[in-house]
Amino acid sequence: MASLRDIRRHISSVKSIKQITYAMKMVAAARIKKAQNKILNSRPFADKMEEAIKNLYTEMGEEDFRHSPAFKLFEKHEESNVSVLIVITSDKGLCGSFNVNVLKRAVIWLKENKDREIKVIAVGRKGRDFFKRLKGLNLSIAYELVGIFPKASYAHAKLVTDNLFKLYEKEADSVTIIYNRFKSMMSQEIIRNKFLPLKRHFMKTGDEAAKNKFSDFDFEPAKELLLSSLLPRYIKAQIFKILLESQAAELAARMNAMEAASGNASDIIEDLTLKLNKTRQTMITTELNEIVAGAGALEG
Amino acid sequence: MKEKIILSIVTPEKVYLSEGKVDFVALPASEGEMGILPGHISFVVQLKDGFLRYSSEEGEEMFAILGGFAQVDKNKVIVLAEGAELTKEIDEETARQEYQKAKDALLAKGADIDLDAANAALRRSSLRIKALEIKGKQRRRKK
Repeated sequence: MASLRDIRRHISSVKSIKQITYAMKMVAAARIKKAQNKILNSRPFADKMEEAIKNLYTEMGEEDFRHSPAFKLFEKHEESNVSVLIVITSDKGLCGSFNVNVLKRAVIWLKENKDREIKVIAVGRKGRDFFKRLKGLNLSIAYELVGIFPKASYAHAKLVTDNLFKLYEKEADSVTIIYNRFKSMMSQEIIRNKFLPLKRHFMKTGDEAAKNKFSDFDFEPAKELLLSSLLPRYIKAQIFKILLESQAAELAARMNAMEAASGNASDIIEDLTLKLNKTRQTMITTELNEIVAGAGALEG
Repeated sequence: MKEKIILSIVTPEKVYLSEGKVDFVALPASEGEMGILPGHISFVVQLKDGFLRYSSEEGEEMFAILGGFAQVDKNKVIVLAEGAELTKEIDEETARQEYQKAKDALLAKGADIDLDAANAALRRSSLRIKALEIKGKQRRRKK
């Protein structure tokens, strides 16, 4: 049986673990509010941007659009065997199944595309390390961005997008992104999304009235140029949104994981305390028995 | 009542101004500064790095803008900028330090420096310093 001292030591180590997990939970809880606000703040920009693109597209008409430089963002490159995968994970662990789930989905995707050449854009240290360890695949890390959470900013979204465009223009024919979406405080949702080529329908308003609304607008520079510099910005805003979503989801996951860990630590402490008391009582009982037995022997 | 422009300044990180009523806006358009008064023709314009000024009843304000777009639709102006900063909130000392740091980083060109990030920092800080210079000039003029 474990000695009293061993049990006491065990209890104190579990206690200090509990303190740490509890502190991490509180930190995550404090940051999550901020992260949520950031998502809310990024929304007006993305909405207005989408609106502007829709308007511009309706105004341009199909023919002009086909000739604009923006058109290539919507079309597949011919005869390319390169796919780009963007995976967004966290930098730090201790956040439950947050990273594992994303990487599992990434592996499924890799299996589906195993005969293609794959370029990875890894955001977050966990994901990068995972892809570095992978062997036996036609895979390379094209760009990595680590240490940005929990302070992801628009500048980071810009770096990712710039590198993404470099790849897309050169060789890749499609871009897929896998990340955690912030669904609620309690749950995250893994999203796998084909990012590029862009789907055309997002620009269609389906509103005939909008067509006339823009007809008396002036443009500087010309519409085609305007659209082709608007679209990359739209994509940047999208990436930014995804980074923020992942950031908030990470904090939520960590908060839940740490709450569960603190709870488990409390349970263990309870069990150990019970065990400690039982052991102590047994020892006292044995001691008493010995004394009583000793006294009996003397009297006799 | 006099006609007003409804101005919104939006960046991905923050909404700086939401439907504020102003009398005059000057935008840093890609082909030169563009002044807008109420009743201006509708248009969409690309913006370069520069300064956005507007005047309202409360006085004049100036923003440093990092690229973007503006949409003028009847008397509604929406500015979509990649970054914005109220020039009076720029701290002179930090701006200069950042500028120096970015320049050093570019000159050093070490193995692991992030060229894109340094360039972006340089762009941002040089705009800030320009903003400070303009502000300085205005102050002297007032005296």
